[in-house]
Amino acid sequence: MKSLWVMAAALSAALSLPAQAQDKVKLIDVIELSGAGAAAGTNWKNGADMAAADINAKGGILGKQVEIVHYDTQTNPGNTRAAVQRAIDENAYAILGPIFSGPIGASMQISQRAEIAQIVGGEAAGFTRQGNPYIFRTSISQAAAMPKIAKYLKDTVKAGSIAVVWVNNDFGKGGRDTILPELEKAGIKVTADVSTEQGQADFTADAIKVKNANADAVFVYLNEEESARFLRAAKQQGITKPMIGETTLLGAKVLELAGDAANGVKGHVGLSTDAPVPALQDFGKRYREKYGFSSDHNGVKGYMAVFMVKWATEKQKKFDKKGVADTLRGATIKASEEPGILMDTVIEQNGDLDRESFLAEVVNGKQVINTTLPRIKP
Amino acid sequence: MSAPAAQNSIASRRPARRIDAALIGLLLGAAILWFAPVGMGRYGTYVLSLWLVMSIGVMGLNLTLGYAGQSSLAQAAFMGLGAYATAILTTKYGVSWYAAFALSGLLTFAVGLLLGFPALRVRTHYLAFVTLAFSTLIWLLIRNEQWLTGGVYGISNINRPDFLGIKLFGALEFHRFVVVVTLVLSLKLWWLVRSPWGRAFTALRENPVRAASLGVDTRAYTLLAFAIGSAYGGFAGSLYAPLVEFIDPSPFSLSQSLFLLLMVVAGGSGYLFGPFVGALLGVVLPEWLRFAGSLYLIIFATIVLALLVICPQGVCGLIERGWHALRRKTGGAR
Repeated sequence: MKSLWVMAAALSAALSLPAQAQDKVKLIDVIELSGAGAAAGTNWKNGADMAAADINAKGGILGKQVEIVHYDTQTNPGNTRAAVQRAIDENAYAILGPIFSGPIGASMQISQRAEIAQIVGGEAAGFTRQGNPYIFRTSISQAAAMPKIAKYLKDTVKAGSIAVVWVNNDFGKGGRDTILPELEKAGIKVTADVSTEQGQADFTADAIKVKNANADAVFVYLNEEESARFLRAAKQQGITKPMIGETTLLGAKVLELAGDAANGVKGHVGLSTDAPVPALQDFGKRYREKYGFSSDHNGVKGYMAVFMVKWATEKQKKFDKKGVADTLRGATIKASEEPGILMDTVIEQNGDLDRESFLAEVVNGKQVINTTLPRIKP
Repeated sequence: MSAPAAQNSIASRRPARRIDAALIGLLLGAAILWFAPVGMGRYGTYVLSLWLVMSIGVMGLNLTLGYAGQSSLAQAAFMGLGAYATAILTTKYGVSWYAAFALSGLLTFAVGLLLGFPALRVRTHYLAFVTLAFSTLIWLLIRNEQWLTGGVYGISNINRPDFLGIKLFGALEFHRFVVVVTLVLSLKLWWLVRSPWGRAFTALRENPVRAASLGVDTRAYTLLAFAIGSAYGGFAGSLYAPLVEFIDPSPFSLSQSLFLLLMVVAGGSGYLFGPFVGALLGVVLPEWLRFAGSLYLIIFATIVLALLVICPQGVCGLIERGWHALRRKTGGAR
């Protein structure tokens, strides 16, 4: 019985917490801090916290300090919906996150009904095609990235055939479904189409399948940990064909986990702290100093998301929630105007982004950017 | 509160009063929940609705595990079957939610019946493994059959039903609808466990050989325990889909089945109110603990661990123990 009283006391204490001070800009970050998305979500959360600290150190937004509250979604759509609903009930000025597209799909109607901007980290193509004017990306979508990869495979790698390895979740399947038509258009033959599981530990069988397919190149589209495991398995099986990836395959976490096996990996990178952009490099350096590990693209996205809210608020010169979304839609944010955005970013009417991206290669365990690709619509 | 084996002698001595207490508890609970969300905001209302929906799923597992003693790791898979059946029927074929709800229940009842057959041959851990395999199978089916289920992209824009012309679009209206459905389903279960069926289920759990020797058809009751428990999972899923308005395979994975099992055990396996308490711990407690920031999962796990160490019979067992101790102290026991 005693434990019940203790629990009851703890709960009532929780419920009676004082209301948040009103003189702050309250942003609520609904993010994957546990479950399958924990690695990505933690990077995003750290990035957003860093952005708030940077903004507050310079006097806040229109003189108000920024406060970020993080709510864990457990990478579960039902919980994400609860968290976004809570954010709206708690009068959030804007909603940041989540990253996985399932949870985005479950929660985006709520922010739309409340007419609040929701700035997410998802890259899957689908959710900006549903006519929701309150959803905004922080990175270019798969639909924008995959044509660049196909072009790269055809013109630079000069591949006539390819093996595609993908993770069977919304991210991997989305990427695979987007690149296959692009490969066909480019005249590249797919000799193996290998589906793998989220959280899969052993990639030996998949590596053997890829080896037997004997394609000119391998396109690897997996989450970070799995990318590293696949690269190790591929090295063990003696695959020597070029490994091509998109953002995740060249991420900081993959390079750390895959070690030598990552050397020689090439691909397209939407955002990277190694990109030849001083603001991105500076962000990466400060992130490493603060958190003790390198930020992946999700850390950069979390940082940018907060600055998108700041830019829109300062542009409209008032705190108007609906106005944030209205201002962001169709806007071009220049890094010269708002250094926190790190790179010039064009926001399209449906919330998609267009900006420069990079081609990179892993040399001696480090990501080296070779080429900067222009915006799709320069 | 309906009681497990230890309290059977008391239950049989004073059945009328105990049953009334359970019935009054259910009706009173429903009345409170009808009005509870006033002034709570949409978030609070949503969490209350989610709690009730999960309670229905846990109720089913409580019947299978708590009353009939058949361990199952497939309850989330049944919720998934119900949720997908409802979502597909309402969004793709324009079937009304009520028909979809009934069909989801029928489908999960039939599949539960089939899954019950291995239960006739294997028990305890072995049965758990059989249901675990089934759970994985359903999850793979949901994920890979994209033409039907939307695969990893899920199904979005699932509409909420109308009730006698009243739109249940708003959080409060839909919550009240969930309260009514939950009440109907819990009354059904209340009736079931105090009927000869319920006693046969308990006999099956306590000693199947003895139950058979007393003329209980253990084969039929094992199958029924599975089928009815699974149908409750289906009903829960059928409410979950319009509540969240989006479904994808992730909430119906094996880990969710384990979580539902935890709710049965933590709430009090074999108690009528156990599922409500268990789902309160599983759904509402993590939401309450959000104030603790990144520590909340650690606090949640500690509370559950401490609870199960102090009281393996779950919260309902703890309350019952306290109640009997109190009665002995005040000399109230006759």
